[in-house]
Amino acid sequence: MITTNNQIFASYQKDPTLFDEVFDAQGEVREVYEKLFELYGNHTISNYVQLNNKAKASFFNQGITFQVYGEHETKEKIFPFDLFPRIIGPAEWDHIEKGAIQRSRALNLFLWDIYHEKKIIKDGIVPLELLSSSANYLHQMFDLDPPGGIYNHISGTDIIKHADGQYYVLEDNIRCPSGVSYVVCNRTALKRALFGVFNHCQAHTVTNYAENLLEILESVKPQGVDIPNVVVITPGMYNSAYYEHSYLAKAMGVELVEGRDLFVENDFVYMKTIKGPERVDVIYRRVDDLFIDPLEFRPDSALGVPGLFAAYRKGNVCLANAPGTGVADDKAVYTYMPEIIKYYLDESPILKNVHTYHCNRPEELRYVLEHITELVVKPVDESGGYGISIGNRLSKAEIAAVKEQIKKEPRKYIAQPIMSLSVHPTYIDESESFEQRHVDLRTFTLLGKDKEFVLKGGLSRVALKKGNLVVNSSQGGGSKDTWVLKNDQGPC
Amino acid sequence: MLARVANNLYWMGRYIERSEHVARFMHVNYFSSLDAPNEHSQKRQFVLRSMRFMVGDPVSDPNEVLDEEQLLYNLGMNPDIPYSIISNVQWARENANSARDLISTELYEAINKFYHFVLNYDVDLFVKRGLYDFCVNITEMTTILRGKIRGTLLHDEVYAIIMMGMNLERATQIIRIIYTKYNDVLLARGVTGTEDAGQSFEWVTLLKCAESYDMMRRFYKKAPNTSSTLEFLILNPDCPRSVINSLNQITKHINVLDQSKNPKKDSTAFLVEKVRADLKFKYVEEIHEDIRNFIETKLNDLVNIAQKMEKEYFNY
Repeated sequence: MITTNNQIFASYQKDPTLFDEVFDAQGEVREVYEKLFELYGNHTISNYVQLNNKAKASFFNQGITFQVYGEHETKEKIFPFDLFPRIIGPAEWDHIEKGAIQRSRALNLFLWDIYHEKKIIKDGIVPLELLSSSANYLHQMFDLDPPGGIYNHISGTDIIKHADGQYYVLEDNIRCPSGVSYVVCNRTALKRALFGVFNHCQAHTVTNYAENLLEILESVKPQGVDIPNVVVITPGMYNSAYYEHSYLAKAMGVELVEGRDLFVENDFVYMKTIKGPERVDVIYRRVDDLFIDPLEFRPDSALGVPGLFAAYRKGNVCLANAPGTGVADDKAVYTYMPEIIKYYLDESPILKNVHTYHCNRPEELRYVLEHITELVVKPVDESGGYGISIGNRLSKAEIAAVKEQIKKEPRKYIAQPIMSLSVHPTYIDESESFEQRHVDLRTFTLLGKDKEFVLKGGLSRVALKKGNLVVNSSQGGGSKDTWVLKNDQGPC
Repeated sequence: MLARVANNLYWMGRYIERSEHVARFMHVNYFSSLDAPNEHSQKRQFVLRSMRFMVGDPVSDPNEVLDEEQLLYNLGMNPDIPYSIISNVQWARENANSARDLISTELYEAINKFYHFVLNYDVDLFVKRGLYDFCVNITEMTTILRGKIRGTLLHDEVYAIIMMGMNLERATQIIRIIYTKYNDVLLARGVTGTEDAGQSFEWVTLLKCAESYDMMRRFYKKAPNTSSTLEFLILNPDCPRSVINSLNQITKHINVLDQSKNPKKDSTAFLVEKVRADLKFKYVEEIHEDIRNFIETKLNDLVNIAQKMEKEYFNY
């Protein structure tokens, strides 16, 4: 099976129908993994368990945890993290990077268009219902020019590798994509546990994300501001992504504020400091659209700042990402991405889209209902892996229920062929050995005025349950450090 | 710096400092009582009462019999008791959490480890055999935290705010400890009549509770008495635990926040200088004359400074 006397892989089982990131079809280790494979091979399993525990302790001590609420006490748990990194060669990465930038730029132009002239609708490329039926299409954003002309400053693109060895985009996240702090933490934890591996490591750094983010945010400063004052706004320390918010603020060296720290006077935004009010020019917001301003959106929001949107409309403050970007990362818009890229950039998409069936089209709805066991059905406006049904995993009763739901609200659902996510050797605590687990990749793309950046690395999310395809952390997923190599010769 | 975050940092400093003083007071008192010179002060009940007095929850009924394990649990590890060590550590971390972007990774990690140490300490072990181990660990970890604060933070406003919190708390706790031991001396004397050996013993315990006994011996070169102990712990500017030293620190740090040459009458800086000047030019005899009154006035002064800070800097 495996042509090595590598101890920790001795019991590794390979399913030939899946694409394994480390081993090729012949069972040989792929070139980019060769060196690392050898290095890891020097460890025994008990050795590895020790290292694994060390890495866990590193997360625990850094306080990168989430709360589990039990009956009697709340416990802190770390996000599961795997010590065996995922490696991507330079050529493959180049493809991903170009594709991610292309999508970000196209989405930005799309957003500008649909909040201004709506040419893409008038030209019949995408249907009007796509927008009018979306709760995230905000009338407040009509004819508003965001500073620098940028809507989606920060995009998270979820990419998978299919059984055919090709990358496909699963979805674009351009509201408040999270996860970038885990990229950095995973690297830190891996270095602490296995510093020897990094002595000769030729992987790109991931710690330059924050400085690039700050540059992007400063590039979209309001007019007339010389040195902009940038802040990050968080819903507060009990938010599940609070660690990430505080990490980003700290890494950029800017203030982390809550809604109650800000106020608006004469359409300018100020924060309350120990020396009185201080003007704020750019806000990286990690608060959802509907909560940013109780005067304009949800009146019961205590997280936002009254009057913030009016200041934004006046151009006195920049919000990143812009409100109303949610309309474009909708799973229904996703299906039009090839057309959208073609329309605005006159290019063909670099990264493939998964073929999608729209349940609101009668003939496609019929196909979906007939082939439901071969398809993944997703609601168009949910995130975090909620509401997804995977056809070949459902019982008869469940299939009938899903069909009913789709028939009731066809606009709400799309269906895609079941993609076979690639698998990666992952250390499993229960069996104390490496096993194949499905992985995806979230990349992080930044778009500013005349500047763009893709973080060389990303969050490889692992579905820890055997055979499971849903990798979201809210559904019990873990993650891996992801190395993008500087050259083809392998990492070391 | 945000006013809200400044408030969090200030309280983080206070809670770290407070947990240390409670921990040290508990174990120093408990173990020194084992070789106390007179029967009364040797009694376990006497020591337990002294602990309750120190945390501001004195036992009013003289006939009440305190349960040792329950009391140790309440002071050390009961999360429902606001003055317990675990509560203080929890709040220190909570406050650090909401200022997490401003403090260093190293400091945060140290606070986090501190918190997990307390949280995971075996309660049964603590009340039966672990008092010394637990308390010594607390005091050592707070020393690490102090080192991280000094060594991994920029000495700017953030640092000044944390140090203000720590020093205000230290001055308060030292005064409380003095008050508690003074009270113990009175109680011991009440039983056995004036007895210098007994008094001296309580003063040694007091100095050890403030980690100042060795410094004091070096300074006076003889056994402590009421006057020298009070002088050392209150008025000696070179003793890092003395009240005047804390006030000097507070003055230094308030000047980072308020750089005006002549602070306004209603400012914190003005009040700090006023309180410090009053103490700086005091004779120990004046304190000795009426200790209770002195202690009440000083505690009141410290509360006033804290309130002034709240109004001037943490108003959000």
